[in-house]
Amino acid sequence: MHRASVEWLRRVTALTLALILIQAPSVVRGQAGADDALRRELDAVKEQLRRVEQQMKQQEELIRKLSAPPPVAAPPPAATPPAVASPPARQPVTPDVEALKQQILAEIQPQLAAANKTFASQFNPAIGFIVDTVFSHSRENKSNFEFRSGEIGISASVDPFARAYAIINGTPDGVAVEEAAIVTTALPWGFTVKGGRFFAEFGRLSTFHDHDLPFVNRPLVLDQFIGGESQADGVEVNWLAPTPQYLALTLGAYNKIGAANDRVDNRIPRDISEFTFLGRMHTAFSLTDSLGIDLGLSDAYTPELRSEALKARNVFGADFTVRYAPLSQAAYRGFVWGSEFLVNHETRPGITPTEDSPDQIFRVRDAFGGYSYFEARLTRRYYPGVLFEYVQDIDRPASRTWALSPYFTIWASEFQRLRLQYTRLEASVPARTDDQFFLQWTIIMGSHAHSFRDR
Amino acid sequence: MRRLLLVLLAIVALLPADAGAAKKIQVVTTIPDLADMTRKVAGDLADVSSIATGVEDIHAVPMKPKFAVLLNRADVVILMGLEAEHAFLPALLDASRNPKIRRDAPGYIDTSVYVPVLEVPTRLDRSLGDQHPMGNPHINLDPVRGKSMVRAIADGLARNFPEHASTFQKNAAAYTKELDTAIARWQQEAAPLKGKKLVSYHPDLIYFVERFGLEAFGTIEMRPGIDPTPSHVADLIERMRQAKVEIVVRERHYPAGLAETVAKATGAKLVELPAMVGGVPEADNYIAFIDYNIRTLVKAATGG
Repeated sequence: MHRASVEWLRRVTALTLALILIQAPSVVRGQAGADDALRRELDAVKEQLRRVEQQMKQQEELIRKLSAPPPVAAPPPAATPPAVASPPARQPVTPDVEALKQQILAEIQPQLAAANKTFASQFNPAIGFIVDTVFSHSRENKSNFEFRSGEIGISASVDPFARAYAIINGTPDGVAVEEAAIVTTALPWGFTVKGGRFFAEFGRLSTFHDHDLPFVNRPLVLDQFIGGESQADGVEVNWLAPTPQYLALTLGAYNKIGAANDRVDNRIPRDISEFTFLGRMHTAFSLTDSLGIDLGLSDAYTPELRSEALKARNVFGADFTVRYAPLSQAAYRGFVWGSEFLVNHETRPGITPTEDSPDQIFRVRDAFGGYSYFEARLTRRYYPGVLFEYVQDIDRPASRTWALSPYFTIWASEFQRLRLQYTRLEASVPARTDDQFFLQWTIIMGSHAHSFRDR
Repeated sequence: MRRLLLVLLAIVALLPADAGAAKKIQVVTTIPDLADMTRKVAGDLADVSSIATGVEDIHAVPMKPKFAVLLNRADVVILMGLEAEHAFLPALLDASRNPKIRRDAPGYIDTSVYVPVLEVPTRLDRSLGDQHPMGNPHINLDPVRGKSMVRAIADGLARNFPEHASTFQKNAAAYTKELDTAIARWQQEAAPLKGKKLVSYHPDLIYFVERFGLEAFGTIEMRPGIDPTPSHVADLIERMRQAKVEIVVRERHYPAGLAETVAKATGAKLVELPAMVGGVPEADNYIAFIDYNIRTLVKAATGG
């Protein structure tokens, strides 16, 4: 309480009590025979006055202590600093002030305890939820409101040695665990090991979830050669080379790669030769402060594909991404030019064996595909872009499809996005064309993280 | 596959290893302010690099793979804290695979630990914009808080390299004294700013404003991190006219057009300020940075 307020309170109280005391005798005179009762009342009032005066003295003393100038002598810096972060050094205090602090702390302790109360759910992982919905219209397939997914993402540290994350995806087809992976955090020499179900490090956009793509649909070549997202059950070792030049190498082994790759049954145990093995190299160069280029080479090799009597399948990919982001306006200006080229190389059974030629004859079949997109950042909100795609059919390389998709993305905020896209699709065999329109609306709520991959 | 591996191994073998350079303490800071403070505290004992150059928006520093390499070889990382570096540092730390500097490891030096924080939200809700749950993180704009950051750097380095602790503390004390002298001078120089109302693009000047007696009237952003709508700008201009706001600050990493429009419509003086050391060539160290900001604002406030 302020000193002036205390003084004012004291004067008002004293005046009130004085009036009471002045009035008291007249009351006594007017009520003869009640002397004892009046005396008791008078004594009570006197006692009350004494207590008020005592409280005022205590308050004045308190104000005097708090208003005293702080001690000038500061302790010399410690020769050895504390090993862990500690609160700022305190000035020396007098015993009275220390007692006062203890008294205050004792009084606020219940509130402090409540504020600092811990409970088991504090260790719950960070949770985010994504809604991705698309309205589409095409000449071939008519119109549709497509609820693409409601996706829960959770992540947390496991212990000092690992972290983990999971993506659980609900779609009109049901609920599925899209990713659930453990990633080491404490291995030396630049190694990390990832295990569980996750998106294998093949190329660039195959490791993106649908809603994270820069355009509405996954490029055709990734759908056909990879099987959509590069989802894989397996293990992956990643190494950041201890070189001045950024160089990351990945080796992996999986049941198969591709969420929609139905050429291999994920649930049936297999020989080692039926696993898919992956190797990837990723490097990047800064051409200027604002301009950089990422280069990647990936190879997914499956020695045997018994379900289709294939001798071997090899998918090779090369990706490059050019990014321009002027340092002082990175949120408002820039562009990304991203491209990937893939070759699917398979050794397939040729002519059916006969009595005359009982040995199985194998034929090599190659198919090629790729995409390239350019996206500009005009402001923090508006991102126009264009995507070109080309792909040969894996089974019939003579059958080719190409598409051109201009699109326009509007970011209402970092957590809400609208996207308009037109796609002109042309295919050689059977000869067909289609015009498609999309309006995509995507939001994220809750926890989110800026990942190195999505930069 | 085998050929690919051989090619990769050959590439690795050809790249020069950096074996002999690791004698000094390898420090990576997120912003140049911290790099300058660390050089003052560590002296010749450390090689100090900064991720940001100073012209960036601290909430949108582009992540480059070379930063992962830099952090991979760091003994310590020094950051402003309070989630200021949320948009780039956690991902880069993951990419660096360096257990020494992971969050809460000894090599993770958060300079906000001793700093009194303003604008700690009482309610967290994305409708309120890109909130910082631990409070406003732009503490580097206040030189008094800067002293606390220096102390955190000295303590953090001493925690990791106790053999040099006395040197760090001695250097930190000398630099703090230098800052104290400068702060006394700044308080005098900033006298014409007292009571002046100011609108900035983003709420990153509140510590500066509090220190030097100005009044933060509002922001051009409608919420932190959310670009303004036309109605927000119209409302801001109207309120600024009524309140006679004299200064509009455009932090140099925000677009010029809108700040110019607001200043022109209200008759306020438009001032362009850096938000970090290195934001303008003159602000090449922490003291010069605060100097520049005060000088520029005083010039605007006094009609210079």
